[in-house]
Amino acid sequence: MSMETILAQTVVNGLMVGMIYMLMAIGFTMVFGIMRIVNFAHGEFYMVGAFMFAIFYGSYEVPFALSLLLAIVTTALVGLVMERLVFSRFRGNELNGMIASVGVALIMQNAALLIWGPSPRSVPAVVSGVISFGGIVFPWSRVVVIIGALIAVGLLYVLIAHTQLGRAMRAVAQDAEIALAQGIRVEVIFPLAFVLGVALAALAGALMAPVLSVSPFVGLAPTLKAFVIVVIGGLGSVPGAVAGGLLIGLIESFAGTFMSAALAEILQFIVVIAVVLLRPQGLLGRKEREA
Amino acid sequence: MRAQDGNKRLRFGAIILAVLIAILFPRFAPNQFYVHLGTVGCLNLMFVLGLAIISRAGQLSMGHAGFALVGGYVSALLSMKAGWPALLGVLAAGLVAAAIAAALGWIILRLRGVYFVLVAFSFGQIAVLLALDMSDITGGANGIVGVPPLSLFGYSLASKPDFYPFALACALATLLFTWMLYRSPFGDRMAATAENQRLTESSGVDTHATQVIAFTIGSGIAGMAGALSVHYFRFISPDSFTFWESVSYLTMLVVGGSAGAFGPVVGVLVLTPLPEMLRATQGLQHIIYGAVLVLCLLFVPEGLSSIPRRLSQRYRATPGPDTSTPAGTRR
Repeated sequence: MSMETILAQTVVNGLMVGMIYMLMAIGFTMVFGIMRIVNFAHGEFYMVGAFMFAIFYGSYEVPFALSLLLAIVTTALVGLVMERLVFSRFRGNELNGMIASVGVALIMQNAALLIWGPSPRSVPAVVSGVISFGGIVFPWSRVVVIIGALIAVGLLYVLIAHTQLGRAMRAVAQDAEIALAQGIRVEVIFPLAFVLGVALAALAGALMAPVLSVSPFVGLAPTLKAFVIVVIGGLGSVPGAVAGGLLIGLIESFAGTFMSAALAEILQFIVVIAVVLLRPQGLLGRKEREA
Repeated sequence: MRAQDGNKRLRFGAIILAVLIAILFPRFAPNQFYVHLGTVGCLNLMFVLGLAIISRAGQLSMGHAGFALVGGYVSALLSMKAGWPALLGVLAAGLVAAAIAAALGWIILRLRGVYFVLVAFSFGQIAVLLALDMSDITGGANGIVGVPPLSLFGYSLASKPDFYPFALACALATLLFTWMLYRSPFGDRMAATAENQRLTESSGVDTHATQVIAFTIGSGIAGMAGALSVHYFRFISPDSFTFWESVSYLTMLVVGGSAGAFGPVVGVLVLTPLPEMLRATQGLQHIIYGAVLVLCLLFVPEGLSSIPRRLSQRYRATPGPDTSTPAGTRR
């Protein structure tokens, strides 16, 4: 393989992984920004989304786009139930809400273990073959992930920036009390934001299911990445999550290809520490007022 | 005054009795498995007390098991490759874990609490990943087998009944240390920092230093306890101390209550045998564990150890109308 091909494939891999991390980080940072809950169960929704997709697409052979939609909707329903049962009761209590999310993660992972068993299952590839572009070949399966994530982020941007609902969500994120005083129905925005975050995690899981295998334990790694990205990009900042996601994806891909996986992990942690030291509000975050 | 004096004597007597029961526990334990469970409980108590000290200063470390993992590897490698006595290895493990915590804490604790939680969690995860990846030193996923047992003045603590008294002594020493720490002026600074960081800062307390020191002490204890358990199980792998161990220490702290030094004791006593009792439920045990955590947060957020105080407050509050507060606001 020529150097250009290796370089190009490393970039594509980095972009793909980065897109997935980005979806995870956006959902996580949105839920924190609006509900003030550090959701340790975020990755478990990724896991449920991946399983749902594996079931619809792999076992029942539902068409790809419909499987994706069904996986997102079913996982979002699980998220809604969790929000109603647990998270809504810890509103305004950052610490206990976070601890409760750990309990939710424990319950969800072990429920998945009980229902679906521990052995990883593989999902048939959505597309096969390669795309050749200027003499450089990429596997189609990875390009599909990138395109899917791009569409989702585009839709999300329109939702947040140009709709009534998006404006309401931004208002609640800035100051829930003032938003309430302006007539925004905060009690509706909270579950909506949570479910939207869950849906993004589910999409990430469903998109990755055919590329990696699916097991009850796949949720923790993307949670870690979401945390790292959010610290780098600035907590509560969606553009920060986008930039941080791509940065971490590329670091991981390049360090993994040209150095070692261990070095890739250390490098990410060093970036986190450097950001905290030099630019505590995150690369694209704004200085936060202390509550 | 009299009543309070008697109360104090009663409490002192109860503590002596509890310690005696703990010491004599192996004598009336039906079999060795209970002794093993007792040892695991002692080790758990050390982990949870470390976490409690950090939370006393207002922070929550979700990477607590990471420090245990670092401590475990440090002591295992020092005693196997460098030939150090195991006990010295345990001390070194505590120091290394404390040093990492001090450096990490000094950097992250300048930020809001949430960032600390995220970075501490990342540290725990990265410790596991590094242990997996650096297989030429750590043995990778297979871990290190045949870690030498502890020995005390030439007397080997390889067997379960021999290790238990030592583990108990360590746990009680940690408990005494925690209790004294909470009662010291530094303990007051910790509690004040947790209560209201800005107000405490403006009264001239260096809250950053207070939190860094608490994090250093708590993580150092985790490192030592991790090393002790590695010498007890004679084995360490990246799976020995993962995020889920951090979760279980946190659950014990929440269920027991983090207000005093004795909350962790209650949490450990309740939750160490729980997985064994639930073993028959086949996989439901972790789900029940998670449910216990959430339910406890909802209904007894101050932990089980707060129940007697709450009950006595209610008992005292009932006779006679309370004129100080309007009727509607009383619980």
